[in-house]
Amino acid sequence: MKKRLGLLLALVLSIGTILSACTSKDSSTSEKDGKNGQPYEIKWYTIGTPQKDTDKVFAEVNKYLKKKINATVKMTQIDWGDWDQKSQVIINSGESFDITFTNGTKYVQNAQKGAFMAIDDLLNKEGKDLKQVIDPALLEGIKINGKVYGVPTNKEAARQSVYTFNKRLVDKYQFDITKVKTLEDLEPMLKVIKESEPTITPVATFKAYLPYDYIFNNELPFGFPLEGDRDHVINFFESDLAMQTYKTMHNYYKAGYLKEDAATSKDSWPMDVENWFVRMGDSAPYADLLWSRSAKYDVVSVPAEEPTTFNDSVSGAIQAISATSKNPKKAMEFLNLLNTDPYLRNLVDKGIEGVHYKKNDNGTIKDLPARVEKYNIPTYSIGNFYTLYLYDNDPKDKWDKFKEFNSAAKPAPTLGFHFNNDPVRSEIAAITNISKEFYPALATGSVDPEEYLPKYNKKLKEAGIDKVLKEIQKQFDEWKSKNK
Amino acid sequence: MCLHEGRKSRPAAKYMPNELDQTSVAISQPLEEMKVKRKKTRNYHNLHPVTNKIVSVLLGIFTLMCVFPFIYVIIISFTSEESIVRNGFEIIPKAWSIDAYHYLWNVKEQLFRSYGVTILVTIVGTIISVLMISFYSYAISRPQFKYRRFFTFLAFFTMLFSGGLVPTYIVVTQFLHLKNTIWALILPLAMNAFYIIIMRTFFLKSVPESILESARIDGASEWRIFFQIVFPLSLPGIATIALFSTLGYWNDWFTALLYIEEPKLVPLQSLLMKIEANLEFMRQNVEISIMQQSLFDTIPQDTAKMAMVVIATLPIAVSYPFFQKYFISGLTIGGVKE
Amino acid sequence: MKRFLRDIYINRIWLLMVLPGTIWLLLFSYLPMFGQVLAFKKFRIDPDGFFASVMNSEWVGLDNFKYLFSTNDAFIITRNTILYNLIFIVLGLIAAVTTAILLSELANKKLSKVYQTGMLFPHFISWVIGSYFVFTFLSSEHGLLNNILSWFHIDPISWYSDPKYWPFILVFISLWKGIGYGSIVYLAAIVGIDRTYYEAAMIDGASKWKQIKHVTLPMIKPLMIILTIMNLGRIFNSDFGLFFQVPRDSGALYPVTNVIDTFVYRGLMTLGDIGMSTAAGLYQSAVGFVLVIITNYIVRKIDEESALF
Repeated sequence: MKKRLGLLLALVLSIGTILSACTSKDSSTSEKDGKNGQPYEIKWYTIGTPQKDTDKVFAEVNKYLKKKINATVKMTQIDWGDWDQKSQVIINSGESFDITFTNGTKYVQNAQKGAFMAIDDLLNKEGKDLKQVIDPALLEGIKINGKVYGVPTNKEAARQSVYTFNKRLVDKYQFDITKVKTLEDLEPMLKVIKESEPTITPVATFKAYLPYDYIFNNELPFGFPLEGDRDHVINFFESDLAMQTYKTMHNYYKAGYLKEDAATSKDSWPMDVENWFVRMGDSAPYADLLWSRSAKYDVVSVPAEEPTTFNDSVSGAIQAISATSKNPKKAMEFLNLLNTDPYLRNLVDKGIEGVHYKKNDNGTIKDLPARVEKYNIPTYSIGNFYTLYLYDNDPKDKWDKFKEFNSAAKPAPTLGFHFNNDPVRSEIAAITNISKEFYPALATGSVDPEEYLPKYNKKLKEAGIDKVLKEIQKQFDEWKSKNK
Repeated sequence: MCLHEGRKSRPAAKYMPNELDQTSVAISQPLEEMKVKRKKTRNYHNLHPVTNKIVSVLLGIFTLMCVFPFIYVIIISFTSEESIVRNGFEIIPKAWSIDAYHYLWNVKEQLFRSYGVTILVTIVGTIISVLMISFYSYAISRPQFKYRRFFTFLAFFTMLFSGGLVPTYIVVTQFLHLKNTIWALILPLAMNAFYIIIMRTFFLKSVPESILESARIDGASEWRIFFQIVFPLSLPGIATIALFSTLGYWNDWFTALLYIEEPKLVPLQSLLMKIEANLEFMRQNVEISIMQQSLFDTIPQDTAKMAMVVIATLPIAVSYPFFQKYFISGLTIGGVKE
Repeated sequence: MKRFLRDIYINRIWLLMVLPGTIWLLLFSYLPMFGQVLAFKKFRIDPDGFFASVMNSEWVGLDNFKYLFSTNDAFIITRNTILYNLIFIVLGLIAAVTTAILLSELANKKLSKVYQTGMLFPHFISWVIGSYFVFTFLSSEHGLLNNILSWFHIDPISWYSDPKYWPFILVFISLWKGIGYGSIVYLAAIVGIDRTYYEAAMIDGASKWKQIKHVTLPMIKPLMIILTIMNLGRIFNSDFGLFFQVPRDSGALYPVTNVIDTFVYRGLMTLGDIGMSTAAGLYQSAVGFVLVIITNYIVRKIDEESALF
């Protein structure tokens, strides 16, 4: 038995050495800046359903790029549902590629693991045009340990949670929604709807809003208050505000304003089915217009908070340069062009003029059927919005409004601070499980907070939440003093 | 586990003839059969008729419970999407529609291609798999093979310990360069330690050395013995492994997710999973889906998903009877005697 | 050395037969195994590729395993995993064998075939779809079960918030999904039993039940033992879909539905740490391995030929 195991071990080890020899040989024999002036091929992974006309469009793109920066781009799209799993495997396997789409927590995790290249220097040289056009708030927010690890998409940088109402019902009962500032203000309206509209569910299930800047997400008990003491992290589930808010939610639930399966429901309440009265969402300039268009009936929103720039809201879409890229300079040159050159940006985003869209006289454009069928790329994931052509039914000042929105927003307490969870990984794993056990039911009002909030907090204490809070505070204080 | 060792270790084997009896039973078999035929009234070949009925009914109820969800899926696939969003899934939907199948017909190129890929992968994969596994298992079932214990352990160890997702990915893509090829769909699933062990048990039981001895004395090579004697004798076992293999290949979607980027090589279940996963993604990222509304008008909703399940499962369910005949009719009667 | 070469020559046919399989095992199973070392490292990505990343990541000893043991939940998930698996193994074995025997004894062979095909359908239903189906039964609003309860004037139960029913629900569903597939192996084995054994039994006047007890069962005993040993090897693993999708990830049910696999999945959602996930896998494999070795040893002492190796 031991002899057999020993043999096995020897086998595995010797094979391991063979593998290392082979793979390292592989990665070192790839082209650098094109041998003898050949255009370098940039490998780009991005999100979305692969389209039929991608090759056609990129033939045009590459023609243009060869002239401008002596490079070509090979874009590979990975489908929405596969994205998380597949991109993680590609990155972890150390595959050699140049640019990848990323966002949110994945961006932070991968950057901290060393998957992405710090591009501060590149931005100052090859990317200086693009540095000028991107909203500085975006670049601030995605700094990790003071370094930038990707090029954010220049779009709305701030988030503003809103309560959105079904306008038809608002008008029918003549509600004055300008008076709505908090969750409690909704009550009289919900009562009326529940009594008079049997086919409408008053509340399209949402998790009650709490005014905190979350370190991870709204489920985990680590947040900085947006008002008041903005410098100390707390377990906001212990706050009076949380208890009060969840109590209100619970009352709504008991009164039947929410569906019974609120805690476990995966229902996304598609806008185009008119079976709800109020919902929550994140607003951006002209959001109501967009939503009303997709719902095919009118909706109107009221803010639940001031527009604030969060780490999350600036990292909605980022193009990062991989640490395994063989020619990061060329990759940056491409990104520079993509974000500043309208011709390139619209080519990649909308396709070929005349085939996928046609230009109107006033400079706006109209989609041709070929666009939806064969070349429909997720705009938000690619790059700068402001160089995109407008559609004929877009408001003329769309991009101006975006810029206004961004500049009016207040920065969140932790904008630019990203927690390194190494010292407390076990605690976080346990706390994540506990949060998932309690949060959904509490935040949708499905259980009585008087009973469950104390239970939740006790379990958190047992799992070591104090240790985590201390560590977060420590890192935050350090970061704050460095960035005075 | 040969018959001649059986007597010691199986006290309950009082009805099993020992080796000496074997030949005598063979000789007297026709006589016995006649005796049994004459005593038809006390026929213990079958269950007592009442027991038979009860068993039949019980099994029937259970089968119904198994089939019912599938029928439900079929019904949902013929429901209108709007009805689902408003009322959830219902047994008797308020509104019928064939929209789901309409959507599928619109993407029929993709669908036919995926069918083709899946069928090819399943057939080639099953053949390769069955051959590889049969050879391996047969060898480790023979007492003459000096290293059989080692190779059994070699296979079994992999059942418990595996390399993990990323290392396997690297071997397949960077080392073997199988990315985006059809072999990436076939090879990673070809061997399965579980099947090897099962097959070995079948070989041990249904192919005792005594039969092979006579063939060896006659001068037949081991290969001939394998194909002409062993194979036919172990058909139930081989059919089992072939069935498991077929089901495994047919249902696999994860391999394609990892290794295939080329839309032309996407197998059927993968397509289905993609749609499911895309739907999930949209659910959880409502902001993105609203912004990209035009993109998501084209993604089918629940009904189309169910329709896909129907067309992905029906073929394999229909092919099952092909394997079944090896499990019911017993092809091995009398194979032991010559 | 000479003796070794001679042995190779004698066994050449057998070695040739295992060759394709062995190459496969080495390439697809053993080669990737070196990745297990990540369980002991803090993974950082190195520009030179995966192998460099692994080599250059720092050793952290048993750090990556801590989260599996350090909390109160650790006891719950381990208990749940083991108990469910033991029940599945025992009940699964009984159900599969019984079904196989009944199917093979049914007088009407055509009916038997139909039943067999029907029983296999749950195997094709993925847990995502399966969980929808369960939802139509257990939903508090429109669920079938609650409807039926109301006929008997019993108050509707909020199934997804009340843990106490779920062990039964999960076991039932697991059996429902697995019996069809699980009985196939036993059916194949039963079919291979020589009819003359039954005839000898009948000559001695054995009733059907005695025949089953003294012929069928002993003949499939090796298979039952081997399958049980192999299942014991997976005692720390769980069918993820069953424990995650079917209860719809409902927090209230975690005390009875949280198993090691779901705990790891949830816990690593915010962390994304490949070292920790590898550690979990290694832990599950190691425990299973030890259990198999022990069980195999015991079986070998009792009945040498029925052991795995």
